[in-house]
Amino acid sequence: MATAELVLGLLSAGPAHGYDVKRGHDSWFPDGRPLAFGQVYTTLGRLERDGLVEVVEKTSGGGPDRTVYALTDKGRKHLADWLVDPVPPAWGSADEVLRKLVAAVRTGGDAAAFLARQRASHLRRIRELQESPAGQDPTSPLVRDYTVAHLDADLRWLDSAIERLSEQETS
Amino acid sequence: MIALELTDIEYSYRRNTALRGVSLQVEAGEIVAITGASGCGKSTLLHCAAGILTPDKGSVRLDGQDLAELSADARAALRRTKIGVVLQFGQLVPDLPLIDNVALPLLLAGHQRSEAHEHAREWLTQVGIQDEADAVPSELSGGQTQRAAIARALVSGPSVVLADEPTGSLDSRAGKELLDVLVSTARYRGAALVMVTHDNLVAAAANREIRLRDGVIQHEVAL
Repeated sequence: MATAELVLGLLSAGPAHGYDVKRGHDSWFPDGRPLAFGQVYTTLGRLERDGLVEVVEKTSGGGPDRTVYALTDKGRKHLADWLVDPVPPAWGSADEVLRKLVAAVRTGGDAAAFLARQRASHLRRIRELQESPAGQDPTSPLVRDYTVAHLDADLRWLDSAIERLSEQETS
Repeated sequence: MIALELTDIEYSYRRNTALRGVSLQVEAGEIVAITGASGCGKSTLLHCAAGILTPDKGSVRLDGQDLAELSADARAALRRTKIGVVLQFGQLVPDLPLIDNVALPLLLAGHQRSEAHEHAREWLTQVGIQDEADAVPSELSGGQTQRAAIARALVSGPSVVLADEPTGSLDSRAGKELLDVLVSTARYRGAALVMVTHDNLVAAAANREIRLRDGVIQHEVAL
């Protein structure tokens, strides 16, 4: 799961503390599972360790956490690279595609170019599967059918995402 | 070598502009999928490439020859020999046996009947329906009709094959079999193949996807 990159995306608008990051995440994915506070702070700690975010303000006292984090140049580059690369097509990969798409739109990335690359990546994977015969055992063809059907479903969702973004651009 | 070149194609149906300056080149042996939502102009583009429609503006070149520079007769002859067209529902002549349907482009081009039939029989075998040579289209299944349409499109050895939703009326298994036939025979011939499709499994067989939206190319990606 790409929580780390999403946190970088959420910090791309400016420094924020963990609570803001959690609220931002939940507003980006209103139909999804809320991000747990524990996961926010664990992720921020790991990103700080890796030099992708830095602490720019820290106030201690009896009240709530007041540590403010900001993206570093390294973190900004990591985010930009992540938003460019299509997700390797596989079972459940659409979840990660959605995360990247939302992050690209919210941070001003080139979402249309990402969707075109992702579509190409999915089509290539389907071709690979179509060109290599499934195993002769009883279940391999079932697994193959499942995989192709799910990639096809992902592609139909990608199509509708391309259309929706185009409509938003022209309206 | 560029087999098909469309440059700045514009086309309007009365008040509706279907194509707004579309350009594309297809190399010999290349497979291109034209995709996009309904009404985006993809079938109009295919019909312009096939010479079924004449663009309001822009040029269509087949093997380097500009169609607009030819007389009507020369254009029709070029279309018969250089282009194979597969339409969505086969579009066979209802009263003709399959062998004559498939031989039709050769008969129209002036070939002897026996020679045309010999070629047609080879192609019926190639697409796996040689046993149906004497059947009329109403006796065939949807898949057999589409196979016959592919055989007819390829019988004259075209350098460009244009297919509009080639698997559109078939279930997924029959569609896959038909796609395999179309792709493998186009490859075998070294023909450029351009397929208009809304089916992702068909698009996945291509080397390149060109997506249209509102009559313009929205994106183009290598596959």
